[in-house]
Parts: sequence; C-alpha cells; structure tokens
Amino acid sequence: MRSVLVLSGKDLRNLFHSPLFYGIAGLCSIVWSGLFFAALYDFAHASNMSSMRGQGEGASLHFVVFARHISLVNLFMIFAVSAMSMRLFSDEKRNQTMALLLTSPVSATQITLGKFVAGLVAAWALVALSFLYPASLRSFTAFDWGPLIASYIGLFLITGCYVTIGMFASSLTENTVLSVVMSLIFNVMLWFVGAFSDTAHNPVLDKVFAQLNVGSHFVNFIKGTISVSSLTFFVSVIALMTFLTQRVVESNRWR
Amino acid sequence: MDMIEVSGLVKSYGPIQAVKDIQFRVKKGEVVGFLGPNGAGKSTTMKIITGSMAPSGGSVRVAGFDVFEEPLEVKRRIGYLPENPPVYGEMTVESYLRFVARLKGISGERVSKQVEKSIEKTDLGSVRKRLIQNLSKGFRQRVGIAQALVSDPEVLILDEPTSGLDPRQVAEVRALIQELKGEHTIILSTHILPEVQTMCERIIIINRGRIVAEDSLAGLSNRMAGSVNVRIRVARPGPALEQALRAVPGVVTVVVADSGYSLQMSGEDQAVEAIAESVVHSKAGLLELRREVVDLEEIFLKLTTSEESQTPGSVP
Ligand SMILES: Nc1ncnc2c1ncn2[C@@H]1O[C@H](COP(=O)(O)OP(=O)(O)OP(=O)(O)O)[C@@H](O)[C@H]1O
Ligand SMILES: [Mg+2]
Repeated sequence: MRSVLVLSGKDLRNLFHSPLFYGIAGLCSIVWSGLFFAALYDFAHASNMSSMRGQGEGASLHFVVFARHISLVNLFMIFAVSAMSMRLFSDEKRNQTMALLLTSPVSATQITLGKFVAGLVAAWALVALSFLYPASLRSFTAFDWGPLIASYIGLFLITGCYVTIGMFASSLTENTVLSVVMSLIFNVMLWFVGAFSDTAHNPVLDKVFAQLNVGSHFVNFIKGTISVSSLTFFVSVIALMTFLTQRVVESNRWR
Repeated sequence: MDMIEVSGLVKSYGPIQAVKDIQFRVKKGEVVGFLGPNGAGKSTTMKIITGSMAPSGGSVRVAGFDVFEEPLEVKRRIGYLPENPPVYGEMTVESYLRFVARLKGISGERVSKQVEKSIEKTDLGSVRKRLIQNLSKGFRQRVGIAQALVSDPEVLILDEPTSGLDPRQVAEVRALIQELKGEHTIILSTHILPEVQTMCERIIIINRGRIVAEDSLAGLSNRMAGSVNVRIRVARPGPALEQALRAVPGVVTVVVADSGYSLQMSGEDQAVEAIAESVVHSKAGLLELRREVVDLEEIFLKLTTSEESQTPGSVP
C-alpha cells in the first residue's frame, strides 16, 4: 500500500506542477461556467413562462440545469482524462524511467494501482470542481440533494472507467499522441457497445447488450436511482481495465 | 558466498540472439567489469540480472534468491543505473532522490539521511534544488548514479557509469567506485579499457553474446605473456637473417614486416638477448629492436576479433 501511495504521490505531484492540469481545469471551468449559466437562464425563462400560465411547478431545476451540466461534464471528461492519462505509462516509457519502476521492489500490480490512484485523484478533482456549480445554487434556491448526489456518484464512476481505459491505452505505447487517440477510441467504443442492443435480433444477446449500455446505466444515476446492476457494471469495467493494464505492465519484462 | 550467480543465460529479441549461454559468478564485495564492443550483449545481461527483463532461458540468483521466483527480494538488494539515467525532468534532484529512496522501501526517518549521503557521494550539492531537465548530461548521469546508491544496496549494477562525463568527473566516479568496493558487490560495463584496468578486480569480456574471457587483470596479462612481440628493423634484410631468427629458441613465428621482422615469442628476456645477438652476428645492420608490451587493449582486440573470424557468417 505504501508503495502504491509513493508511486501515485510522485505522479500527482508532477501533474500538479505541470501546466497541463491547469490548462485543462481552466478550459473546463470557462466552458462549464458559460453553459451552466445559459442553462440557468433558460430554466428561469421557462419557469417564468409556466408560472405566468399558472401551470404549477413547471420544469425541474434538476433536469433542465443539472442534467445538462452533468452530460457536458461527462463529455469533457472523456477528453480531459484521455489527455491526462497519456502521461501515466507512455511518459515513463519515453523517459526510460520504466526501468526504474521495474527494478524497484514493487510488483506490477502495485505499479498499476499507483497509476490508477493518481489518474483517479486527478480526474475526480475536475469532477469535484464541476460539483461547485450546482452546489453553489443552494444558497439561492432550495432543491433536493438526492438526485444531484446520485448523478455525481454516476459521474465519479464513469470517470473512473475513463481513467482505467486511458491508463490501459497508455500502457500499450510509448507514443503519447497515439495513447490519447487510442484512449478516445476505446471510450467511444465503450459508449457504442450498448447501441447494438436492438440489432442482434436475439433476445439473449439483446439483453446482454442492454446490460452493456453505458448510456442507460448513466441515465439511471441522473434520474436519481442507484441500482445494483449499474454499480456492478461500472465497477466491473474499472476492475477489468485495471486487470488488463496490470497484465501489460507485467509483460513489459517479457519483451 | 557467491552474491551473483548467472548460469546458462540466453536472450533472443525475435530472430536476434543477443545473449548466448552466459555463465559467471561474482563473490560478495567483488568489482567485476563487463567489457565488450557495441552490441555485445552487456546491457541485455544487466537488464536480466536486475529483473527488468526476462531471459529466454537460464537462471540468475542474487544473494541466493532467484530473480524470477523472488523478484522483490532481489530488487530490494540491487541498485541499477541503466544506459540512460531514469530521471524525471520535471522533478528537482532532491525530490527525485527522495522519491527513489521511498520507492526502494527506505523507511520514513532514514530517507533524508540516505538522500544526503548519496548527494554527497556524487557531489550533487550545488544542483540539488535544480530541475533535472535543466541539468547537463554529465550531471544527469551523476543523478543516475546517486539514484542507484540511494538505497545503499548490496549489489550495484552500473551500465556505463562514466559515459557522458568529463575527464575530471570520470576520475571522481572511478574514485567513488574504489570507495564503494568492499561494502558493495559491483558489476559495471564499459568499452573503455583503462576504466576496467583501474576499477575492476575481475574482467569478463563479452563478444557477440558470449563470454570470451574471464579472469583477473593480472591473469589476463599473464595468459597473453606468451605472445610478447619484438619488432626488428635492419638495413639489409635477407633470407639468411630470417633463418637465423627462426633458429633462436623461444621464437614462435617470424613475420616479414616493412624493412624488418615482427617476431612473436614465448620466451623471456633471454630470448630477446639471443635475438639481438643473432642479428648483430649476421651483420644485417641493426637499426631498431623494440619490445612491444601486450596491453589490455590488444588482448581485447585479439579476443573479440578472433571470435568474429570463427563465426561462419564472416568467412568469405
Ligand atoms: N529491444 C531490442 N530489440 C531488438 N534487439 C535488441 C534490443 N535491445 C538490444 N538488441 C540487440 O541485442 C544485441 C545486444 O545489445 P546490448 O544493448 O545488450 O549490447 P551492449 O553490449 O550493451 O552494447 P553497447 O556497448 O552498444 O551498449 C544488439 O545486437 C542489439 O541490436
Ligand atoms: Mg549497452
């Protein structure tokens, strides 16, 4: 455990000393601010209209403003995490520092977990940043925390998937550009597996694909429901990709 | 006890066999030099000993632990300087060394002490707060050496430790290795001969993935003592002189060289004396008689080139 923390501490320290992280965080916060307030404006407009017409509650803050914000954050995380996770292994190989890790008294599993923790902390820092937008509205208007928190649990989990996918892509190559491209392709594939759910024309396969549908699992969280099958799905993706990365790291010795 | 035992080591990179059946032992506290031309397989052998690469066959034991069965035990005992120093440009020298010390499992309170020690030994005090990416190649190499030393390992594997250093730093690194001798078991590789001459107790000459010689420096020189060369230059060379030279006891071969002869001999000083006598006696007009001492450089060239001529591919 100590080795895992030593390894991830080094990566995080280097990431937080680099302009890359602040560039990404800055860009995200600019775009998120703009679109969050645009959504808020739309919501205010819509609820004015509905209250003038006397139609009761009208649109919900959660679905009009927060859900839009969360989908946007999700989209940005695909790119941000791919860009940050290229550093995890590709940089080590390019700098020839992989030799240091491989000759230190740490196992391939510890190396992989160290990278995973570093990637997760960096990505979750951005997700936490995005949480400030909806949370800050609390001082102006009352809303139900439940669905928002459920959505963020979903967002943290799906970001975890992106981190492990990016980490896996990074372990495959020492070319950082290739690593980013592969990470993006794998992430897009993750989103598209579920799209086959109606094409198989086979009830069993359809069910399987439906279970693999990231979109529908993620929507569950946004709706405020935390189901065991959705939790299992995300945790399985994270575990599988971490396992695959561990295999690749171990195989570095065999080349 | 033998600190390092390597037996039957084989490594292929696809069709290329980089290491073919390498076998040797290193005693505790010994300093062994790997010597060999480019592409001989020195770095490959070192990578396998340190556990960063798996061999295609053979076994390696360090301090009694098998590198593949108990890799962590072995890695705890090894400090390794690869061909390219494994440094992070965005870290300072000090923070990098602290990271390596922790990674090697040095406990919290000993980290600072070990880092100070290795900074002092490698004379990095003046750059300790600088980013490694802004250091010159020689300083980066020294950071690489400091990194190998920081955990105070029993075994040091140094791949070309003096490459990229200026003459003064080369001398310092050699002095450092002299100083480490005894407490640490050291294997270092180089293609610079004076380096092994000054630093190593034992030399292993590798060529094309095989060990072609393994001996102490004195042993290697002795082994070659049979091939003392004498060069003679005379005013009037002729077959009579050649005959006379061949008859001298101790002379093995006589080769006609430009306006003279090159004699290979097995004898001692008496043979040289006899040669001088016979040349003077033949009245060929002795201009020069020079004894050529065979040094390590020649031994090296001899061993590595004769091996090459034995491989079938190079026979025309
Ligand atoms: N990753 C690799 N893939 C394919 N071939 C390799 C690889 N690494 C080394 N080789 C080959 O293995 C052989 C031995 O290489 P090695 O690096 O061990 O030599 P060396 O003795 O360290 O040489 P040098 O003095 O140049 O450092 C060479 O023929 C080299 O081309
Ligand atoms: Mg080499």
